[in-house]
Amino acid sequence: MEEVKNNTGQNLGIAALITAIVTFVIAVIPCVGLIAIIPGIIAIILASVGMSQAARNNSPRGVLIAGLIIAIIAVLISLSQIFVAGKIAQKANKWPGDIQNIINDVQDNVVKDLEDANISIKVESNGDKVEINTSTGKKNQEKTLENLEGIDTLKNDTIQKKK
Amino acid sequence: MKVSVRNEPYLFINLIFAGVILLVIIYSGIFSPEKNNYPVACIHEKLTGEQCVSCGLSHSFSLILRGRIAEAYQWNLNGMRVFIFFVSQLILRIVFSVYYLKIQDTRKQLIIVDCIGSGIIFLISFWPFILSIIKSIL
Repeated sequence: MEEVKNNTGQNLGIAALITAIVTFVIAVIPCVGLIAIIPGIIAIILASVGMSQAARNNSPRGVLIAGLIIAIIAVLISLSQIFVAGKIAQKANKWPGDIQNIINDVQDNVVKDLEDANISIKVESNGDKVEINTSTGKKNQEKTLENLEGIDTLKNDTIQKKK
Repeated sequence: MKVSVRNEPYLFINLIFAGVILLVIIYSGIFSPEKNNYPVACIHEKLTGEQCVSCGLSHSFSLILRGRIAEAYQWNLNGMRVFIFFVSQLILRIVFSVYYLKIQDTRKQLIIVDCIGSGIIFLISFWPFILSIIKSIL
């Protein structure tokens, strides 16, 4: 009995092949290469659906396989653009360095804020007011420490033995 | 003889590619290097602050279309070879389609020649970009 072949999945195959080739060209251009992941995945889906349809109806799969292979290669090239970005950043000594600088700046600001923090507590009750002001200012603390050190701390306060 | 493009996948693919290339040329013609109003920005430049090997390609295409070749080279050294790829592909799509319709006995050979030839032209034109990717990975 003669085998009947039809063209099921061929339209999807052509769509997949066109998308895959366009994706391939886009993927190779570093400026827009990363974007090519999206049409690349679309091409893979189209080719896969077409393949399953073709397998069910015993139709030719040449175009579908071509589309699928080109789309997979295009997606891989597109993903490799991440390496290109990394290389550029490494070359320029940027990116990781910038992030490190931002972290350092934030850290410095937080420490500075904590050092100069002023605390004020106000309590009001039946017309009576109580206000407590205190500061954790680093300079003030240093001044206090200096004042304390100014007092003769080396004063001999040991109890002398009676002769 | 009437030919339906829908029944001829090769012709359909050629037609779509010719359309895509025409869109690229129209894009280069509409957006001007003076106004610097290109909608597509380099992702690498945005991420790293540094220019990549394909930066300035749109400017270069626009300048080539306007006949300012020397300026085009200043924007991107590879602009001309990529532009030649697109133009050559546009011409090849038309020529191969006509050939496909006129000589029906050698259709299979024509498609094979087209695939190999276009592949080689693609490699030559995009070689600097491919090289930069290979260098980055290795």
